[in-house]
Amino acid sequence: MIELNNITKKFTLHNQGRTNISVFKNLNLKINPGEIVALTGPSGVGKSSILKMIYGNYVFQSGEIKINNYKIDHKYPRNIIELRKNTIGYVSQFLRVIPRVPTIEIVMEPLLEINFDQEEVRERAEKILLDLNIDKNLWNLSPLTFSGGEQQRVNVARGLIRNYPCLLLDEPTASLDNVNKDIVLNLINEKKDKGSSIIGIFHDESSRKYLNAREIDITKISHGN
Amino acid sequence: MEPILSVQNLNKYYGDQVGCKNMNMTLYPGEVVGVVGESGSGKTTFINSISGNLNPDRGKILINKDNEIINFLEISESLKRLLIRTELAFVHQNPRDGLRLDVSAGGNISERLMSIGQRNYGNIRQTIFKWLDKVEIDKSRVDDFPRTFSGGMLQRLQIAKNLVTSPKIIFMDEPTGGLDVSVQAKILDLLRKLVRELNLSVVIVSHDLAVIRLLADKIIVMKNGEAVETGLCDQVLDDPQHSYTQLLVSSVLQV
Repeated sequence: MIELNNITKKFTLHNQGRTNISVFKNLNLKINPGEIVALTGPSGVGKSSILKMIYGNYVFQSGEIKINNYKIDHKYPRNIIELRKNTIGYVSQFLRVIPRVPTIEIVMEPLLEINFDQEEVRERAEKILLDLNIDKNLWNLSPLTFSGGEQQRVNVARGLIRNYPCLLLDEPTASLDNVNKDIVLNLINEKKDKGSSIIGIFHDESSRKYLNAREIDITKISHGN
Repeated sequence: MEPILSVQNLNKYYGDQVGCKNMNMTLYPGEVVGVVGESGSGKTTFINSISGNLNPDRGKILINKDNEIINFLEISESLKRLLIRTELAFVHQNPRDGLRLDVSAGGNISERLMSIGQRNYGNIRQTIFKWLDKVEIDKSRVDDFPRTFSGGMLQRLQIAKNLVTSPKIIFMDEPTGGLDVSVQAKILDLLRKLVRELNLSVVIVSHDLAVIRLLADKIIVMKNGEAVETGLCDQVLDDPQHSYTQLLVSSVLQV
């Protein structure tokens, strides 16, 4: 379960005339286990900011965020690291990896943190790469030279190889063709059926409908400016 | 889980000049802490002060060795030396500072082993080969002198030399500093694998925020000898709070 209670978020740009940008005031949001919430609203309204606050990338000025009843507190980075290791998965829009590391190893990595059986982890990585139509010939290459859609699927594979209790998805299907998009959406549905609390940004309405997501228009619940 | 290294209120002065002051850090097993800041901000003074290379003027350094807390600045010099050879390791920016260039590659790796009392030639030779393999240096180079190695190979040799006695805490000062980018990627990959496989705890100094983002869990941003911002690595880089960190992050060129 993911809960955001009375969140206030603003950015202060010290080097640009101390400009204050208010993003949220009194933001409340709750995502139950086995539920998918889709954030909607025009770009710049703060959809990604919500995911980043939940993942701990962004601080917030007041209110509380609880992940499975565990409060996010930036005074204790160690706890956020543990939370990420055990509880929250995050599929970001862009792949950020060390150059020259093979795709298969990148996908295996999140599982290796909790499972030390190399062979078993490799098998699971191979399976999800096959599911996502990543050609076998590519597995031992770095994804940095792949097409946009392939990179995105590697990112999805990495984020979905484990069964995280909470899942954050930032446009996981943005650059995919329809066939691959459906494959990814089905994988997401599987995670929901396993009881994950899922919150995401999906640019197209058909995806949101397909996932049977509860839609939340950010413009209506945030009171920025 | 208890921290493996804890630094409290550490100060180092050069005469009247501040090297670093009021520095605090907690490092847990398996964790990587990145220290960033511009040249002259005190990064290297800090890492040298906590690794036994420099004597700080004030503060505490607590090392957890098998659940025994060792007050690093108050133990005898000989115990300190032993800790530096066994529990700690220091990887220099310039591998020539961390290696003996007139001793073979194998000899460099075996030095720490011998210094802790290993004498069996066969065992030592085996450990050397294991480590050459780990850092991807061909076995056939074992008797060659480091001066015949490329920069990237030298850095990998220095890493092997340091890790051979299974130290728990690794200090690194710009480990990819002098290397071209393709070699840098290889070293980064190697470091990440070793951290995970051996559950190493690492303090790494770098001015390269991209390197820190890929390796570090936590970050300390230094300016004029002081920490201006600390926290979760990608939080500090994605949503920096201090004006200096904001300046640092916004000054990075995008590729």
